[in-house]
Amino acid sequence: MRSGWAVCAAMVMIPAAAHAQSWNTVTMSRQLERADEIRVFVEYGAGHFTVRSVDEGLLYRMNLRYDEDKFEPVAEYSGNRLRLGVESLGRGIRVKGREAGSFDLELARGVPMDLDLEFGAVKADIDLGGLALTDLDLSTGASASVVVVSEPNPLQMGTARFEAGAAEFTVRGLGNLNAERIQVDAGVGSITLGLDGRWTRDAELSVDMGLGSLEIEVPEGLGIRLRKDSFLASLDSEGLIKRGDVYESPDFADAERRVEIDLDAAFGSIEVVWIR
Amino acid sequence: MPMVFRNALFGRAVLVLGLAALAIPAGAACQLREIVSKSVSASSSGATLGLEFADDGALEISFRGGRISVDGETLGSYEPGDALDAAWRSLLGEAMALENGALAEMLEAWRAPSSLSGAEAEAAEELDRALEAALTAPEPVEARDGASVSIDMGENGSLARLLVGSLGRLGVLEEALEDLDEVFTIHIEEDVVIPAGSETTGTLVVIGGTLRVEGEVDGDVVVVDGALDVRESGVIRGEARIADTRILRNDGDVRGGLVDVLEEEREVEAELRDRLREEIRTEIRNDLRNELRNVARFEDDEDSYSIMAPFRPVVRGVGGVIEKLVMVLVLGMLGAGFLAFAGQNMDAIAETARRSPGRAALVGCAGSFLLVPVWIIGAIALVISIIGIPVAIAWLPLFPLAAAVAALLGYVTVARNAGEWLADSGFPWTGWIRKSNPLFTLVGGLLGLSAAFIAGHVISMAPFLGFLSGLLFAVGVIVTVLAAQIGFGAVLLTRAGRRREYWPSYDADEAWEAAMRGTDEG
Repeated sequence: MRSGWAVCAAMVMIPAAAHAQSWNTVTMSRQLERADEIRVFVEYGAGHFTVRSVDEGLLYRMNLRYDEDKFEPVAEYSGNRLRLGVESLGRGIRVKGREAGSFDLELARGVPMDLDLEFGAVKADIDLGGLALTDLDLSTGASASVVVVSEPNPLQMGTARFEAGAAEFTVRGLGNLNAERIQVDAGVGSITLGLDGRWTRDAELSVDMGLGSLEIEVPEGLGIRLRKDSFLASLDSEGLIKRGDVYESPDFADAERRVEIDLDAAFGSIEVVWIR
Repeated sequence: MPMVFRNALFGRAVLVLGLAALAIPAGAACQLREIVSKSVSASSSGATLGLEFADDGALEISFRGGRISVDGETLGSYEPGDALDAAWRSLLGEAMALENGALAEMLEAWRAPSSLSGAEAEAAEELDRALEAALTAPEPVEARDGASVSIDMGENGSLARLLVGSLGRLGVLEEALEDLDEVFTIHIEEDVVIPAGSETTGTLVVIGGTLRVEGEVDGDVVVVDGALDVRESGVIRGEARIADTRILRNDGDVRGGLVDVLEEEREVEAELRDRLREEIRTEIRNDLRNELRNVARFEDDEDSYSIMAPFRPVVRGVGGVIEKLVMVLVLGMLGAGFLAFAGQNMDAIAETARRSPGRAALVGCAGSFLLVPVWIIGAIALVISIIGIPVAIAWLPLFPLAAAVAALLGYVTVARNAGEWLADSGFPWTGWIRKSNPLFTLVGGLLGLSAAFIAGHVISMAPFLGFLSGLLFAVGVIVTVLAAQIGFGAVLLTRAGRRREYWPSYDADEAWEAAMRGTDEG
């Protein structure tokens, strides 16, 4: 991230940049004044989007590069609500054939947070590790998104919701989310769900998929029970044992942590991959 | 119970900031303000630094479009890409990676580059001072040279009200205190009396209260948003400055003179008022001119008052009558054309319309409803048949045209029938319709069919008879629709008059005459 700031600083120091689009580079940050729970809404339309956690006594720090003719940055903090992102100026958005912007966001590590991320046509690289999440809503449109939970969430979460439209969507480290329920609602695309990470309790995972491929990466030792309700979706259940209507991992009954998976898929393929 | 604060003052120019800083506990050490939020923005068109401080203050310095501004106020100018712009962008580049204390230190330590000269150097100096002023927390120091300010408030919370609710008043105060002595006594929202025989030293400031001077003031007096009452025995050795203040009495001795600090503002206001008055006058003149133009053109606007308003119904009524008469003329000319070129067809259509108007009306209705579907289905069928595509090209424009001609032919034929009927009717004003001349019967019939409309327009000119004219218009619509449907139906039944449905009844005399004409010719 340091090198990122250096690049931004260099951009700031160049007064005359490319003029095809009016690029503006903005760095915004706010000191962490108290550690009460905060609701965070992040919206981003198109570009390259990254999320990380930050220490250094900051509530957030964001670095935006955007076309100032089309967008304006949003950073509103009031009470326990924080709203960040970019807003369209309503002059039409045309991504094709234009250079995309970027949005690098760092959120306070360890501050209880109800996080709502919404992004559209973006390439997202999100690491939720280090964030203390009490609730998570992640919604993406036509994107290539990789979400990683690299460190365990110190707080217990009720439900984590992931919604992907037409996307190549990968989530890894779901165990670190510390969530009781995980809901994945995918329209069209390729979905990879990594059940790695540290599971501190049994959980439920429900996946609702329209059309596409779904790959579930299961670490050895984690007990899973899979229930499938599909129309024309194939299931590659290698390593699972079918018991009645459900598929179970061989050690499901003895596993220390179990995940109940509910699959509702219309068309496509479902594959369970075992990882070490 | 008035509250009294005693703080030192840097100088008159920062008095207002000093008032705001009173919220900060006295005795705080000199320090940089705590930055809680930072925003650094840079593009090819400008570079902006925004800071928010822990004490709710904010600062925004912007280089944009050649203008340097601090909190929206212009500080100076720069040329994009010049040394000052580069120095500012370099500063912001460093600011991006720093936060709070380190950021404040870096910004406060910034100095204008020595390489700058002239206006650039001056702007840089101003910028440096603005950064320092904004980043440095007010520094309480011991009173020096007697420079001090004491504040008395009428009640607890007056200062807060003043600061929070009357920022405009602070601006006036700043103006009123310009260039005055450094010793102030400020009274906020309380009345002050300098009793006869007493003397007070230093500048006396009264905000939102009445100052009554019966004794002596060895200094200046400032009254903002209040009242000044200088009694006969009262002496003010300096100036009496007033802003938004009433003068109750000025019987004493004001040696420095009475100065209204808002006089210039009032002059600007008066100028603005004059300009507004002139604009309003121009607007009224334009409105009148437009009104007269409307009168000349007989234009009117329902929603606005107009001197034409009383004549509107008459103008509208006459216009409506003329419109109908023109329509009769146009249809009459069309009818004359039909009579000349398709007289026999008209006869056949007229016969069907006369003999079975009900059947013709039903066929006309059905035909009207089926027009569009037939047109579309016909076009689709022709296109699907491939070989019919050239026909479809003609079908698309010609079918609606043929339908319109058929409707017109039907209507004028029915009008001719109506004219014949009127000629036989013996109604007043129908004597001019000669049955032997189809043109007369045609025009008479067209007028007859439009009679309800014409009567409606005539009646609409009279006041309070709107309902009657509405009724007549409704009758006119029914008559027109009926005539059009009967006519159109009759056209369809007779295949545009080419296939007679009824033959004229046999008349022996007429047949004999015809036979004789044939014999003579032979």
